[in-house]
Amino acid sequence: MHIQAEENAIVPVRLFRINTGSCNGCDVELAVTSAVTEFDVEQLGCRYTEAAREADILLITGPLTVRAREEVLRLYAETPQDKVTVAVGVCPVSGGVFRDSYAVDGPLERHLPVDVNIPGCPPRPQALLAGIAEALELRRARREGGAPVRRALPVDNFPARGRLSYDAGSCVDCRICRHVCAAGAIRFEEGETGVSLTLWHNSCVFCGLCSHYCPTGALSVTGDWRLDHPAADAFRQVERGEVPYAPCVGCGEPIIPAAPQLLHAAFRRPNPDIERLKSLCPACRQQMSIGVPRR
Amino acid sequence: MSTKLIELGPHQLALEEPMYFRVKLEGDRVADLDVLPGQVHRGMEHLVMRRNFYQNITLLERLCSLCSNSHPSTFCAAVEEVAGITIPERAEYLRAVADEIKRIASHLFCCAVQANVIGETALFRRVMEVREIMQRAKEAIYGNRMDLAANVIGGVRYDLSVEGAAYLARQMEAMKQPLDELYLQYSNNPALLVRMAGVGVLPRAAAREYAVVGPVARGCGIDYDVRKKSPYGAYDRLEFEVAVQEGGDVRARNLVRLAEARQSVSLIEQCLAQLPAGPLCADTLPEIPAGEAIAKSEAPRGELMYYLRTDGSDMPVRLKWRVPSYMNWDALKVMLKGEPVANIPLIVNSIDPCIACTDR
Repeated sequence: MHIQAEENAIVPVRLFRINTGSCNGCDVELAVTSAVTEFDVEQLGCRYTEAAREADILLITGPLTVRAREEVLRLYAETPQDKVTVAVGVCPVSGGVFRDSYAVDGPLERHLPVDVNIPGCPPRPQALLAGIAEALELRRARREGGAPVRRALPVDNFPARGRLSYDAGSCVDCRICRHVCAAGAIRFEEGETGVSLTLWHNSCVFCGLCSHYCPTGALSVTGDWRLDHPAADAFRQVERGEVPYAPCVGCGEPIIPAAPQLLHAAFRRPNPDIERLKSLCPACRQQMSIGVPRR
Repeated sequence: MSTKLIELGPHQLALEEPMYFRVKLEGDRVADLDVLPGQVHRGMEHLVMRRNFYQNITLLERLCSLCSNSHPSTFCAAVEEVAGITIPERAEYLRAVADEIKRIASHLFCCAVQANVIGETALFRRVMEVREIMQRAKEAIYGNRMDLAANVIGGVRYDLSVEGAAYLARQMEAMKQPLDELYLQYSNNPALLVRMAGVGVLPRAAAREYAVVGPVARGCGIDYDVRKKSPYGAYDRLEFEVAVQEGGDVRARNLVRLAEARQSVSLIEQCLAQLPAGPLCADTLPEIPAGEAIAKSEAPRGELMYYLRTDGSDMPVRLKWRVPSYMNWDALKVMLKGEPVANIPLIVNSIDPCIACTDR
């Protein structure tokens, strides 16, 4: 006698998690996707497994510590060839706030191939589900052929801290944002025509400290949390802008003029004299106010 | 009787974090155990010395995400002590609100995981659903469900508007009935009693010897809570009783947690009622002189201590922690001795071990 499998039985896609030394934020949120109905991965036809060899989708959290590496690679070797690997949170992609530590051996891609990234610190459960859905779509495309399709998701208006947005028009190049950024996500470059800022969403931990200290509101936190993307696009996930140089009206030297937002923050109601200062370089400003450039 | 050594990891122990144990068994009973730490060692002591004070607020919030507000708020308290900064009264209350919200969510997560470990899946889901009320409140007020980003040196960087405070008060109201119900469940439900009562006992003398803290200590009848013993921030103006249980077992530890979660609701309500008007933090970025300071607080897992030394630059020259899980996991030796193998996952989870804090 043999038991016949039902033709239409739906076999759940199995998810397996590896923690490579995370702060447990992503892991606790993943636990939510196994426990809370609203965010349950079962709505995507998935189920968690505790056996690496059953992994259809592999979810990896943490910056990959030196100590965990051997165990992570051992578990990875047990997983099937055709799984889809997902980096959860920014740590596996860039190290996040733990970058450049002697004890961290990331990014994960140095050791094993990654297919999908879900930035966030930690990503909210909605973002985890979106990323897992993207992994499922990639899995389907690989099996059936064709390109994976990115599905639109319902957007809620919850005030979550998402992607940072940069407005070069109000930036005064003070660089306090880079100074306070724990994740090293912000870079300034001085070019021919101006100063440009680049912020990498795969390093950013969405703490919002840059926008808190930004004197002119050039950096602001948006509610856009849907940041999952194919790992191949990791370095395209940036916010960028250039503050152009303008010639000093006194000597013609290229300077970054003070934005109106800064004058407003400093003087409340700037008068014409103050307005004139913003187009002068430091040397010309000193010339105008104390007669000689200060040494 | 046969003696053997086995190794247990996160997948056997239902831990969210990679913690490994080498357990010596005699028959099916635990004779001894070694903790094999270090998987979550990210070199935090090294990193904090290479980041300035502002960066460290965000970095330390990610030392551990379950007690993620306790770390930056205690760090800020140490920096403020060195710099002689008095934070505005409103900020003291708002720090307490953030700490208590995190405490409720952390305690409920611990109780939920234990229900899952003993196969009470429905209860596990129920506790996690109750916890969601807090998760939603955190996201609505702070913008993130784990890392609140509430603290800055000299105060806080979030405010509660009138509507925000009213929203939080409604969420607190919604927590009361479920928390009372869960307390009764963990206290009297026969299915839980049979697995948790008299299991993983830590006698009070051993608790003192191992210097355990937090709910593990209070579950052994030790009346120690930093918020009461050396009140910091707004806690000297808030009323609450230290939750103490005498049993010393898994059940007692959970009852302490659930009683504390209920008290946290009351503490938040008191904060909302007393919340004074005024600024949120010092106006200018303060200069941090050379000096040293110790700050401590009651994190969800127990007493958290920070030692900070500065040299007048904008980076710490030394930052050292004593985290609660360090003492608590050492006491697992006592709790597990003579217990059957099947009880290991439950007992390990009953101390709410934070590997991220301890390995750093």
